[in-house]
Amino acid sequence: MSWLVAFFVVSVYAVMAVAFGAVDPLLRTAQPKWNPLSWDTKAMSRIVDRILHGDLGQVFVRTGAYIALALVGCVLIGYPVAYFAARVVKRRRGLLMAALVLPFWISYLMRMLAWTNLLQPDGYVNSVLRFLHLMDEPRNWLNGDSYTVVIGLVYGYVPFFILPLFASLERLDGRLIEAGRDLGASAFQTFRRVTLPLSVPGLMAASVITILPMAGDYYTNTYLTSGSPKTTMVGNQIEFFLQRSSQPQSGASLVLLMMAVLFALMLYYLIVTIRQQRAAER
Amino acid sequence: MRSSRRDFLARSAQLGVVLGAGVPLLQACGDSGKKSVSTSAIADGLEPEKGPLRIVNYADYVNPDVIADFQNEYGVEVEITTIFTDTEVVSKIASGAIKVDLQHSMANTSIGNLISGGLLQPLNKSYLPNFANVIASFNDPWYDPGAKYSVPYTFFGTGIGFRADRIDPDDVAAQGWDTLWNATDFAGQVSVLDDEREALIMAMQRRGLFEINTLDPDVINQALADLTELIDLVNVKYNIEAYKDIPEGTTSLAQTWSADLIAGAAGYLPEGVGPEVLGFWHPPAGEYVVGNDSMGVLADAENPVLAHLYLNYLLDNDVSEKNFSWVGYLPALTKLNADYVIGAGYVPENLRVCVPTDEEVAKALVFKPLGVDGDALYEEAWSKFIAGG
Repeated sequence: MSWLVAFFVVSVYAVMAVAFGAVDPLLRTAQPKWNPLSWDTKAMSRIVDRILHGDLGQVFVRTGAYIALALVGCVLIGYPVAYFAARVVKRRRGLLMAALVLPFWISYLMRMLAWTNLLQPDGYVNSVLRFLHLMDEPRNWLNGDSYTVVIGLVYGYVPFFILPLFASLERLDGRLIEAGRDLGASAFQTFRRVTLPLSVPGLMAASVITILPMAGDYYTNTYLTSGSPKTTMVGNQIEFFLQRSSQPQSGASLVLLMMAVLFALMLYYLIVTIRQQRAAER
Repeated sequence: MRSSRRDFLARSAQLGVVLGAGVPLLQACGDSGKKSVSTSAIADGLEPEKGPLRIVNYADYVNPDVIADFQNEYGVEVEITTIFTDTEVVSKIASGAIKVDLQHSMANTSIGNLISGGLLQPLNKSYLPNFANVIASFNDPWYDPGAKYSVPYTFFGTGIGFRADRIDPDDVAAQGWDTLWNATDFAGQVSVLDDEREALIMAMQRRGLFEINTLDPDVINQALADLTELIDLVNVKYNIEAYKDIPEGTTSLAQTWSADLIAGAAGYLPEGVGPEVLGFWHPPAGEYVVGNDSMGVLADAENPVLAHLYLNYLLDNDVSEKNFSWVGYLPALTKLNADYVIGAGYVPENLRVCVPTDEEVAKALVFKPLGVDGDALYEEAWSKFIAGG
């Protein structure tokens, strides 16, 4: 409980104090208002109005779409990898896991910088595609296209997806899978009817862990599109208001609204998890 | 608030998780109102402190060899804290998050607030004999009358940088700012400065409006609408990367700072490509926006004498030339004029236009502080533009 208070309640209240607070007229630093009776809701109202009736609505929709597509990419890449590591590999599993964790040793920023070089018109991605005759002319991948952002998100966050899923798959009771095979199911049927349903908690945990940071990501978009208005995410708007404007209240308001959306998702996850636990206990 | 090309690194270095927005959020909080205004300069003839001299500056915005030379000459250590945006450094200094002696690169729109907020101390010019080297226009700048609190570091103008091997310079000169709106053949290779005032003012200037500190919401909204047109017309980007993107060829034309072309010619042209591929256009004197960064000593500096000596050191002609050769941004010193820097080989002749003339500086349009509500007008418009319009 004290953990929750220290790392969530206090933090959220601080964000609220900024969102409903003021700004130093000279130095533009936020002046949080800790007393709710003196809260000013103008910034929040303006942001909500822009979300409901203006440009910020499309930014939220765009961010949600990018996250959904990136999540699909993470599942398509991450599930086979996690399954292979957890259920197929018998020897050198530690080595494989070390290889999976290795990207964490390099900062996300550096990995994105590497991608900007790889995706340049004269970068290795184009060179390889042309070498394989998959492309005639070099493509400018950094031209402000949504798919580049989605690819970047998948690349950046797929390790976050694999690790919890691996842990979940590794704990699967192998006897259930063997029972499926013994009862005449094919390997695919066993996977579809036994392994996959049992993977759902792991998939959901991996999804939550991946969605949360993706929802606030802004530098993947910044780096991989050279700053295109067509691909702006909510994180870009938060970063702008908090880092580079005299309106930290607007940035904090966006943080709160994004948290509300994510909280709804988390709530759903918790409800599903609790139901599954109760079902398993019966 | 104004940004610069160094800002790009800022947005990269922050953690990007949504709850991680608490990091900049906490940085954004401060207790600036508690500091008292410093009204007196240090006394004459004081011995320098033993240091270390603590400086806050943008990344790669001072020649490391110049720092090393200063350390050797005065026998002190220099510690540089790197920041990324002007807004960031002001809030960190105000909140006490960073303790430094010297702010190396203040935007002129912030200096007035820093002075009023008591964060800068008046300079004692007896420690700054090299101030005599400064271009006359900066002896009494609008942002710091009498240059009591600041000395200029670099200066630059805003115009269009372009690839002269792809776009006829005469066409750019004939079309002016319209060049960006007409560049449909270069869709995806066009950018504007990632700076709300610079970008929106450009759109106003295109319509013949030169009151660059306007607070008229209709004018700002029209500028936003015009700027938003660029998204579909030319797939415009907003960044401060023209200094490398134009030389490397990924951008064909961009609203950018003149110094970016000089820096680009010096360090970012691919092998075998000469500076003749680069071009720069700017509006005529009187319509030309010229900005500068300045240095100042913090009110609570622990090494104020040493900080003064550093300012004086950077205003030395030879030191400044050495610094310019690495940084690419022109110092505001009389000696380092266009003829000199071209003759010395720092600037190619075709980029002479990148060095603002005395007349251009004297008649320059300058960004002035707009107040919180004024800034909010531009920031709101910019937020809408980067959202996609």
